[in-house]
Amino acid sequence: MRTLSEWASKAALGDIPRPVERLTRSSAEALAFARRLGRPVVAKAGDVAHKSEFGAVRLGLDIDGLAAAWPELAALGDGTVLVAEEVKADLELMVGGLRDPQFGPVVSVGLGGVAAEVLKDVVFVLAPPEPGELDRALGELRGAALLDGRRGRPALDRAALVRIVDAVSRLLLDDESVVEVDCNPVLVTAGKPVVADALVVKK
Amino acid sequence: MRNVLEGGFDGRVLAVNPSREEVLGLRSVPCLQEDVDLALVSVPAPAVGNAVADAARAGCRAAIVLASGFGETGSAGAAAERELAATAREAGMRLVGPNCMGVVSRRGASWLNGSYFWQLPGAAGGVSMVSQSGAFGGMFFAEARRSGLGVARFLSVGNSADVTETDAIEWLAADPLTAVIGLFAEAFRDGRRFIDVVSACPKPVVVLKAGKEAAGARAAASHTGSLAGRHGAVRAAFRRAGVVEALTADEFFDLLTVLAAGRPAAALHGGLAVLTISGGPGVLASDAAERLGLVLPPPSEVTVRRLRELAPAFAATGNPIDLTPQCPPAAFGPAIAAVFEDPAFAGVIVINCGLDIPEFGAGVAAARQATGKPVTAFLLEVPQIEAALRETGIPLLPSPERAVAAYRALADVNRLKPR
Repeated sequence: MRTLSEWASKAALGDIPRPVERLTRSSAEALAFARRLGRPVVAKAGDVAHKSEFGAVRLGLDIDGLAAAWPELAALGDGTVLVAEEVKADLELMVGGLRDPQFGPVVSVGLGGVAAEVLKDVVFVLAPPEPGELDRALGELRGAALLDGRRGRPALDRAALVRIVDAVSRLLLDDESVVEVDCNPVLVTAGKPVVADALVVKK
Repeated sequence: MRNVLEGGFDGRVLAVNPSREEVLGLRSVPCLQEDVDLALVSVPAPAVGNAVADAARAGCRAAIVLASGFGETGSAGAAAERELAATAREAGMRLVGPNCMGVVSRRGASWLNGSYFWQLPGAAGGVSMVSQSGAFGGMFFAEARRSGLGVARFLSVGNSADVTETDAIEWLAADPLTAVIGLFAEAFRDGRRFIDVVSACPKPVVVLKAGKEAAGARAAASHTGSLAGRHGAVRAAFRRAGVVEALTADEFFDLLTVLAAGRPAAALHGGLAVLTISGGPGVLASDAAERLGLVLPPPSEVTVRRLRELAPAFAATGNPIDLTPQCPPAAFGPAIAAVFEDPAFAGVIVINCGLDIPEFGAGVAAARQATGKPVTAFLLEVPQIEAALRETGIPLLPSPERAVAAYRALADVNRLKPR
């Protein structure tokens, strides 16, 4: 079993909604990117699995912060640093996939982020999903009402979620060597989901 | 052999035994040489290979190997099992088992009991059961005898060297005696085909899946993997196939009971009435209905007025509708009819604890027949009412909550298995 880096995992997933982000190979490249963005950024060491456990993620960096963090992060991983716009989420979801020994590829959607394993609120659909199947499954979530928007927040953009689910499904169906996929967290801001982190596990 | 003979099988039975001339009064032959419909192989494991080969050579259509000592014992047993399946396949014979409890099947007014269960179901009916566990088969028959559940077929698939639970369901889907199919499963050998077969089956398929949570969760590298347990994919498969899933043995038997009594003509979109003479149990039912997402609207004004005329002043005319034990016997019929006929209600839960008044039973039976609305009931120690409701085909459940859950299953089945 080997895990692909976040960057390679996202590349394998193809066209999915994701934050504005860039894999940087030098501090100068990172700073130029962050300046153009003009907002606080997140920086993550390239090719480190379980990044948060190894201190390989830095949040809310301004230009000076990024300049200081870049060499440290580069040294933790493979010498590259992923720099991304910082997304403030109203809701954290996770989309995943795995190969079940009895029923083949399945895709999951659940309430995600750091609370995913505490909430254990996740539903599965067979890949590829049939029309209407994902919506029915989402209705089975204990926290289904969170997807419908509340307190003035817009409802989740289901079509954008479907793009992520379809990407996971396609990857499992097209590449036999893929065993598990995690898009976690999928950050939802004003109803729009983006895949903030991804992990593809291969045989 | 004794089970076959005492079960009342009305076809021809042939005894095969190399070491005796007679078995239970039947002359026996040392080796099967006739192309019988079914060979029941109940011999020690080392002798099974020859017995199956004989049956295959003789041209039997099917063999059921009840003997144990195959795949469940290790790799040598698994190899022997594969050989049995190959022998059968070459001869075009189907093979059930090994390591199973056999078959029970209605045949006209009689039973074929080709199983190790010596007590047969009490009643004939439309429920057929497929089990990967022999012991759960025993629970099924005990429950059928206790509750009067009517049975059509039972097949214990054991190690499924050839015939799998999916093959059995495919056959039952086209079986004229079978109205509802129950399956106890621990694993699915041909997962995607199981989904296709159940999807195509026009009859409700109720599944109790054991082993939902992995004892030692799989060593998963991802969050998705660690959250899946063993049941994530199973739920996905059941949703797509339209399986009616039972989470407990009690629920499994309740679902078979209620679905065997027939399914509602249309989807149940309307409200539910809880009709009772017993306050507390009626409230338990309405609590359960709310938990399950069923709507309990108040009766319409016309109904309320009618109930006020008929029932005591302290009767509750909200929902639950509590006619109270003090309701005059002659008023039960018209009061019950008024509730059933109310367009606010798509169906009714009937509850009666201990007031065995014939007018109550007759009223429910008549109203049910007149309106055709689905009903489930919880009755306690009211034999006359029980008899009247059973006669009308109203499913009786062992608690108020279970009566409501069974009703909910009725409401769901047309969504899962559209006609």
